Amino acid sequence: MSGGREQVLAAIRRSLGRGALSADARAALDARRGATDSEPLLPTLPKGTSAQVFRAGLEKVSGTMSELTALDEVPGAVAGYLAGHGLALEAAVAPSLESLDWASAGITPSVGPTRGGDFAGVSHAWRGVAESGSLVLLSGPDNPTSLNFLPDHHLVVLRAQDLVPHLEQAWAALREQGEEGWPRTVNVITGPSRTADIELTIQLGAHGPRSLHVLLVD
Amino acid sequence: MEPLSHAFKERSVWALQDETLQVALNRAKDGFAVKRAKAVDALPEFESLRDRAVAIKDHTLENLDHYLERYAEAVERSGGKVHWASSAEDARRIVVEICRASGARMITKGKSMVGEEVGVNGALEEAGFEVVETDLGEYIIQLAQEPPSHIIVPAVHKTRGQISDLFHQNHQKYGLTRKLSEVPEMVNEARQVLRDKYLAADVGITGANFLIAESGTSVIVTNEGNGDLTCSLPKVHIVTAGIEKVVPTADDASTLLRLLGRSATGQDMTTYTTFTTGPKRSGDTDGPEEYHVVLIDNGRTSMLGDQFREMLRCIRCGACMNHCPVYGAIGGHAYGWVYPGPMGSVLTPLAVGLKEAGNLPNACTLNGHCAEVCPVRIPLPDLLRTLRHREYQLRLGLKPMRWGLAAWLWFTTHPRIYRMGTRVQARMLALLAGRKGRFRRMPLAGSWFRGGRDLPAPQGETFMAVWQRRQRGKGG
Repeated sequence: MSGGREQVLAAIRRSLGRGALSADARAALDARRGATDSEPLLPTLPKGTSAQVFRAGLEKVSGTMSELTALDEVPGAVAGYLAGHGLALEAAVAPSLESLDWASAGITPSVGPTRGGDFAGVSHAWRGVAESGSLVLLSGPDNPTSLNFLPDHHLVVLRAQDLVPHLEQAWAALREQGEEGWPRTVNVITGPSRTADIELTIQLGAHGPRSLHVLLVD
Repeated sequence: MEPLSHAFKERSVWALQDETLQVALNRAKDGFAVKRAKAVDALPEFESLRDRAVAIKDHTLENLDHYLERYAEAVERSGGKVHWASSAEDARRIVVEICRASGARMITKGKSMVGEEVGVNGALEEAGFEVVETDLGEYIIQLAQEPPSHIIVPAVHKTRGQISDLFHQNHQKYGLTRKLSEVPEMVNEARQVLRDKYLAADVGITGANFLIAESGTSVIVTNEGNGDLTCSLPKVHIVTAGIEKVVPTADDASTLLRLLGRSATGQDMTTYTTFTTGPKRSGDTDGPEEYHVVLIDNGRTSMLGDQFREMLRCIRCGACMNHCPVYGAIGGHAYGWVYPGPMGSVLTPLAVGLKEAGNLPNACTLNGHCAEVCPVRIPLPDLLRTLRHREYQLRLGLKPMRWGLAAWLWFTTHPRIYRMGTRVQARMLALLAGRKGRFRRMPLAGSWFRGGRDLPAPQGETFMAVWQRRQRGKGG
């Protein structure tokens, strides 16, 4: 296998007309801030609060949102959503949200990952990106990724303080967490699953959730 | 896959005569261009982002060995394994070996153009694995046993009637016997069939839109969520990626992502953008136990060293084909290999040789629309011209065409004779055409001048003659 590596690297260097880079040259590359060694070029956002800009982006891609004033309101809001969609008051819930009072909202939560038997999944977003109305979810024992993809309805808890203008601020926060920063998966989710593969007709719910609902907690 | 590009002319004629295909192509034609234009107009920074993207790609290519090494180190730190494949054959062998070693039987796949390029599916099926494509478009063409005809919407050439037939034939074995006619019910049926495949798969194979060197992360972009189910449910995840996919940081990838969705489908952001780093961590309750990346060269390093380096900036958005009049008329299959349209007309001859694919760079009007919309400013018409030049130098084109070009060259470098000749020709043709002013038949032109076309006749004077007359008029 290492033969393959040397072969490819040697071919690259031959084409670039040089040998391997010196340690100094490599250190200089490592010290750059990205490829262009400059601040990221960030698009100007429309006027409004970050929650308003986020909502506009989310609704543009057929996502929905309700705004809550405290985390305690989440189980009630989930129950309201499920009832509104004619669903049983059951949901697969991320362990990070286990401690909420689901029982008094009448919900029977199954805590942990799902294998596809659950109609609704509730997980929490690590950041929200105002620019595009995207949610940034990190995988981990307390937030299994299967909840993001297998249920028909994906409900996501996002704290208003975790809204950032652009993706780049989320990466900066992730880098601050050091070596441990990158979990197995960072899912950046912008609206429910969709396809246009049959006659370019947009259809929601291709393989993933048919609807995406954000619970924004101030 | 075996290239069929040598038969480009015949395949184009079939495509033009295939009424069902023409219906499908006409539907696609304006949809993409309009969506892209809207999305681009809504982002004032789009042009500066394009410049930034070019700078990102050029810098990375200039230091490709460094960033690939950094990327590979980071993958290994996260518990993943990196494999290097010089050729398509190496890539196939590596993927098959990983699948064998894991004791797999069923493999799900997310859409991967490099996977198509090196022929992963064929190798796996030959080795006895069941391979299921999970992107709806790829799934449809897998059932039809056809290659993709577009890099973003692989089944864009199929109508709902054809897809309904395919599902009806192939889904009986799952007890789904009703013939469907509406798009939502077809999407639902595919969802139902593929859901079981995701859950049963032992290995999931995806491509990568970007590889991030700083963190050892692979990025895939899908609208359906199929890529995520493919890479998170099975116990082994294999990423197949061309070596040009690497970028230094997540910020660099974010710049390119702003261009990719808008250029491809007119979306500000594709639905699922997934950043994967290594296998599942201790304590994780889902995710694969093994994470492999196969870095594939397959001719990319030679492009790096010649006039075609700029082609390695390509982020596979499909905008060039969505704006190409030739692609719009004949669709992707006529091109005869994996990549169609303008980008394919550059890549295919480089991959399979000009002898096989010399027709592709010639099937271009040099209207330049592809270069105008290319998010990473690849000068596609220039590259196509370079290929034509190379074809001429290698004495590969058809003889009459080569002779014609040589005669043309002689005339254009002898302007006096050229002008005299064209003056006589213009007058003769105007006389021959008579009052109708157009030709319906053209003796000696051969078979191409048929099929309802006519040719407007010259009006008796050459452009140069008119120009000179007017200039004299002005001066006097």
